Amino acid sequence: MHMENNSTEELLEEEYLLGEEEDIVNKYLTFTSADLVYGIPIENVIEIITNPTITSLPMVPDFVKGIINLRGQIVPIIDIRQVMNKPVNEEVSITCVIILELDAISIGVLVDSVLQVINIQNNLSAPPAKNHTFISGMTNLSDGTVMFSLDCEALLSNK
Amino acid sequence: MNNGMDSMLDMYLFETNSLLEQLEGIMLEAEKAKSFSSEDIDEIFRIMHTIKGSSAMMEFDSISKIAHRIEDLFFIFRENNTTNTFSESMRKELFNLILKTNDFMRTEVEKIEQNEPLTDTIDNFITDINTFIEKLNTEDTSTMETSEAKTPAASPAVPQTTAPLQSIPETSAPYIIKILFDDGSGMENLRALIVKNAIADAIGSSFECYPADVETNSETCNYIIDHGYFVFLKDEALVDPTLSAIKSSPNIASFEVIPNAPKEAEQPKTSKGSAAQKANPSPASSKQAKPAKNGAPANGQNHSVKQSIISVNLSKLDSLMAIVGEIVITESMVTSSPDLKGLKLDNFTKSTRQLRKLTDELQDIAMSMRMVPIAGVFNKMNRIVRDMGQSLNKDVRLTIIGENTELDKTIVDSINDPLIHIVRNSMDHGIEENVQDRIDAGKEPQGEIVLEAKHTGSDIIITISDDGTGVNPDKVLEKAKRNGILTKPENEYSKREILMLLLAPGFSTNETVTEFSGRGVGMDVVKQNIEKVGGIVSIESELGEGTCVTLKIPLTLAIVDGMEISVGESTFTMPITNIKQSFKCKKADIIYDALGREMIERMGNYYSIIRLHSLYHIETKITDIEDGILVWIEASDISYCLFVDCFIGEQQVVVKPLPTYLNSFNIKNSGIAGCTILGDGNISIILDALSLYAAFVNSL
Repeated sequence: MHMENNSTEELLEEEYLLGEEEDIVNKYLTFTSADLVYGIPIENVIEIITNPTITSLPMVPDFVKGIINLRGQIVPIIDIRQVMNKPVNEEVSITCVIILELDAISIGVLVDSVLQVINIQNNLSAPPAKNHTFISGMTNLSDGTVMFSLDCEALLSNK
Repeated sequence: MNNGMDSMLDMYLFETNSLLEQLEGIMLEAEKAKSFSSEDIDEIFRIMHTIKGSSAMMEFDSISKIAHRIEDLFFIFRENNTTNTFSESMRKELFNLILKTNDFMRTEVEKIEQNEPLTDTIDNFITDINTFIEKLNTEDTSTMETSEAKTPAASPAVPQTTAPLQSIPETSAPYIIKILFDDGSGMENLRALIVKNAIADAIGSSFECYPADVETNSETCNYIIDHGYFVFLKDEALVDPTLSAIKSSPNIASFEVIPNAPKEAEQPKTSKGSAAQKANPSPASSKQAKPAKNGAPANGQNHSVKQSIISVNLSKLDSLMAIVGEIVITESMVTSSPDLKGLKLDNFTKSTRQLRKLTDELQDIAMSMRMVPIAGVFNKMNRIVRDMGQSLNKDVRLTIIGENTELDKTIVDSINDPLIHIVRNSMDHGIEENVQDRIDAGKEPQGEIVLEAKHTGSDIIITISDDGTGVNPDKVLEKAKRNGILTKPENEYSKREILMLLLAPGFSTNETVTEFSGRGVGMDVVKQNIEKVGGIVSIESELGEGTCVTLKIPLTLAIVDGMEISVGESTFTMPITNIKQSFKCKKADIIYDALGREMIERMGNYYSIIRLHSLYHIETKITDIEDGILVWIEASDISYCLFVDCFIGEQQVVVKPLPTYLNSFNIKNSGIAGCTILGDGNISIILDALSLYAAFVNSL
């Protein structure tokens, strides 16, 4: 009787530890844009859509591609290439848009292609120089490539 | 369980808020009239009683306690009818006390709404009220001789069953109707209530009954069995309708009319006649009022008014509106489906026409449900004018015109703050500091602020005007220069432009910051808020004569009659109300100015031509002025001709605001009011005629 009790407690403790560990793991959705790999915290990603009809808006900065009708909701689309001062991708067969949401504000990010969802255990290291406001950190992936993490907050507040 | 609690809380908040609003209204009216009518006192008493009861039920003790004390206070008034004999300072104190209490209860209710803990320290308030009551009592004895005789009667609310009863109660009413019910019919008090309601339906509330508290006091039953139920009438004309009402009521054994002449002669003796009491329609009413307050007071008046208004959660109306919007879109999606092209479908067209008619109706009704009169917002200004008048020592009256004008609930909410701001400005900066200044300027000593609302087509115009000093353009210009917000040489500013400077960010003409205005955030916030709901602010002012602020706001934001316009691959919607005319023109009609800008003459005036494709940098094949179409646009005082590729057709569209993300790009100033989803799922951008012109001027 006593023994049993002990073992359940141990089990519980183990589970608890596991749970704690999972908390540290951050999930990122990675995508490519102009040959660079970026990551977005998964909790900000709503969905990924392809080939939406983009209605362009006049008199907005170039990186704002326009707005789309996402099941009755109007979502603005920005081109991550132009945000990062890269040339516009001219020959695309499929446009890929990641819909992000933060504080009830939705936005679509136009990317070259979506890669995968990855777990990142260690903390991100800050970029050596504060070269771009929209990058909050970077890290090495298992295959050796470097992932830049997008700062969604900065992206949405558009500062 | 939780749900039930929530809805109860909702109900409580709604009820308490409207009661407090009502209370404030009564207080401000009474303050203007400088006296309470007996109805006012009854009404306040009833309000406090209800708040006390419901707050205690919801366990909001602080509110309930304070309401209880105020109820006590008004109980004294009700008994003694002394408010009219108050000294000036006493009355002022009373009004301040009640309004302060009202404010306190409002903030408490707000706290409940926001789920914050309530204030526990209400002792100050209670002592305030208590000292006032004490003061009242001492003043009472000195000013009113009869009060001694009155107070003992007032102190405990003696249930009438224990009091000795005569077979016919004392009254001054000339006509008494005695009603006896069938023997053994049971529940005589409820039968009496039925009769009372029947009479109320027939002749209104201008009668008295005895026993008065039949609905709440079941012991009146025995009295009615023994002596009958009495109805007192003041007027002979009321006797016949009353009798027929009684006749049609069930379980009546007999009734008789007893003329009451001798009693009337005794009246001066029975009621210790004070001047105030003679003003009362009949002294009997004050006698009768006593038993009534045992139960639910003032029920009698409310019976004749059938409740025909229900309260609906705003979010439900919002979703209704959204669904109606979707239906409107879907309807046009079905009727203009590309699959039907080239088909001749007589029955189908007939049915769609019917459908169109019904959806239009549905839409109108859904819209009208969101419409509320502007009176609620306007009446709040009374309080602001009063409070500021007192603290700034300015005598100002507020005149309200057109408070029944209805507009969309969301718009009403959003103009609340701007209105408060403007009225405060008028009070603080507009109306002269010294009464003598006004008299010297040949104005009447009392300042006036006029709030007016009226409809014009699809807009509502709200004007706030005062007869104060007006705006001094030189001072404004000087201040603007000091703040560095001038954009061109001083002498180039027209008067109109100078007044518009008042709306620029970071402008506040008052030299010193006061409690009420001049915090540095000024009229620019007003402008922003009004623009948020698609409105326009303009200021007119004559130095020495006053200032008038005009707000022009669309009636509703939700649905617009629009003309679909295409330019290149893009589709735009221009509100029909802005389109004056559309026409084709020849190259020869175009006039060029020195800079090569295009103009055209229409009906004797010259208008700029705005090429939408070049303004918005849209690629299109139609650049020749003869290929496209010119649309003559008019919006408030601006008029121009817009060059577009072609018209697609007229359509009702549901306005969707642009995503908030885009606000940082100043998109409102580029001629875009919002967007809408067309029947085919594509997005059409809704143009804003005014800011489109501004964008055009900026692009030159």
